[in-house]
Amino acid sequence: MSHEKYVGLLDAAPDAMVVVNEGGEIVLLNVHAEKQFRYRRDELVGQNVKKIIPEGFAERLIADGLRSAAEALAQQMGQGIEIIGRRKDGGEFPIEIMLSPLENPEGLLVTAAIRDISARKKAEAHLRQTVEELKRSNEELGQFAYIASHDLQEPLRMVASYTQLLSNRYKGKLDSDADEFIAFAVDGASRMQRLIEDLLAYSRVVTKAKDLRATSSEEALQGALLNLRGAIQESGAVVTHDPLPVVLADEVQLVQLFQNLVGNSIKYQRPGVPRIHISAAGNGAEKWTFSVQDNGLGIDPQYFPRIFGLFQRLHKRGEFDGTGIGLAICKKIVERHGGSISVESQPGHGSTFRFALAGSETKSTQPSEEKRCP
Amino acid sequence: MPIEVLLVEDNPGDVRLTQEAFRNTNRFVHLHVASDGVEAMAFLRHEEPHVRAPRPDLILLDLNLPKMDGREVLAHIKEDRSLKTIPTVVLTTSEAEADIINSYQLQANCYLSKPVMLDVFESLVRSINDFWLTKVKLPPQSAIG
Repeated sequence: MSHEKYVGLLDAAPDAMVVVNEGGEIVLLNVHAEKQFRYRRDELVGQNVKKIIPEGFAERLIADGLRSAAEALAQQMGQGIEIIGRRKDGGEFPIEIMLSPLENPEGLLVTAAIRDISARKKAEAHLRQTVEELKRSNEELGQFAYIASHDLQEPLRMVASYTQLLSNRYKGKLDSDADEFIAFAVDGASRMQRLIEDLLAYSRVVTKAKDLRATSSEEALQGALLNLRGAIQESGAVVTHDPLPVVLADEVQLVQLFQNLVGNSIKYQRPGVPRIHISAAGNGAEKWTFSVQDNGLGIDPQYFPRIFGLFQRLHKRGEFDGTGIGLAICKKIVERHGGSISVESQPGHGSTFRFALAGSETKSTQPSEEKRCP
Repeated sequence: MPIEVLLVEDNPGDVRLTQEAFRNTNRFVHLHVASDGVEAMAFLRHEEPHVRAPRPDLILLDLNLPKMDGREVLAHIKEDRSLKTIPTVVLTTSEAEADIINSYQLQANCYLSKPVMLDVFESLVRSINDFWLTKVKLPPQSAIG
C-alpha cells in the first residue's frame, strides 16, 4: 500500500480524517483520528470502519453497495451527517462526518472528515434550555404585568375618585394653594390610570391573543374606522383605502392595529384636512405589506427608533394627549404576527407606517374601486 | 315615598362613592349597605339584626365579597321565590368574561363594571336611577310570594 504518502497531507487537515475502501475497511487515517478515537494507527488500518463508527456510516454509504455512490456522496458533501463515534475505551460521542469520494486505481475510496461535536451538542442543548427558560420567564412577565396593573387599578380608582370628588366639591372654597395641590393630585392620579390601562392593553396583546386565521383586513379596517368615527368626524379626516386582502391574523388585534395607526394619523395633524390612505401590496399567498399614509405632522427620522418603544412620547404634555403606548402596541401586535413595522417620514410631509403580514390563500373579493370612508 | 336600595359592597370607599352619587341623583333613595354576602342575605331575609329591614326595590351587588361572595348571593336571591323578583344589578370591578357569563346564567338583571373615572361612575349611577328606579315597571309588592 502506498497510501502513506497521503498521511502527511491528511495530518494537515483540521479534522480527523479516515479513508475507507468499498469494503468498509479503513485504509488510512490521520493523527487527529488517532487522538479522537484513542487508537494507534496500526490498530485501525485494515479494520472495518464499524469499529469506530458502529452505525450510520456503513448503513448509509458502504452497505448501500455503493450503487450510486458517486451521486450519493456528491450530495453528502458539505452536508454533515450526525452520528455516534466509539472510542477504544468504548466511550461514545456525537460526531459529524462529511464524506467525499476519492477516485483511485484500486477502486472508489471514501474520505471521511470526522468532527467531534460534543461541545456543539452541549451548546445546542444549553441554547434550547435557555430559550425555554426565556419563553417561560417572558410569559410570567406578561402575566405579572397583567396582574399587577389589574390589581393596582383598584386602589388607584379610590385615589382618583376621591381627589376628583375633593376637587368637585371644594374647588374655590379653600385657598389657592389647596386648589393647586388638589389639581396636581387629580392630574397625577388620572395620568397613572391611563398608564395602567395602557399597560394592561399592552399585556393583553399576549394574554388575550387568539389564533391567527384568515381574516379580511378590509373588514378589520372598517371595524377600526367605526371605533374612530368620533375622531374622524371631529377632525373632518378623509380616510381612503385600496381593496385590502385577506391575511392571516388575529382579527381583534388587526382592528386595534389599524385603529392605533389611523388614530395617530388623525391626532398628529397640521391645520387642514387630514388625509389618510391605507393600501396593501403583495403576492397574496405569502406576504402583504400594508401602508398607512398620512399628510400629518411627520416625524424627524432621528426619532424613528424611539417611537415604537413603551411609553415613548415626542410631544410635551398639553400638546398632545396620551401615554405613548399606541405604537408600542402596534409593534407588539405585528411582531406577534411574525412581521415587522417601520415608518418613513419627514417633518411637515406626513408619515407612512408600513407593516407586513402573512397572506392567506384566499384573495379579497372586495370591489376594486377606491372607497371613501365617511 | 322612599326608594330602598341595598348595596352589597365591602369596600368603604366604594360605599361612600355610591352614597355620594345617589345623593346628587335622587334624594328619595335610601341606601342600605351590607358589607358581605352573609349580611346581605340576613338583610333580605329579615334576620337578626335586620328584622325590620325593608324589602329593597333594587339590589346593587359586588361580586368579590368576604364570607359569601356575590355569585353565591345572586344564586340564593334568584332561587328564592320571594326575592327573585327584586332587580339585582351586578356592579363590580371585574371585567372577566367568565364573571359576566356566570352572572347572567345566575339570572342577574344586568351586569355593570365600575368605571374608573368619577364622572363616568356618577353618570352610571344616574343611569341606574333613571332606568331601574324610574322607568321600569315592577310587580306590585302584594303580588309577590
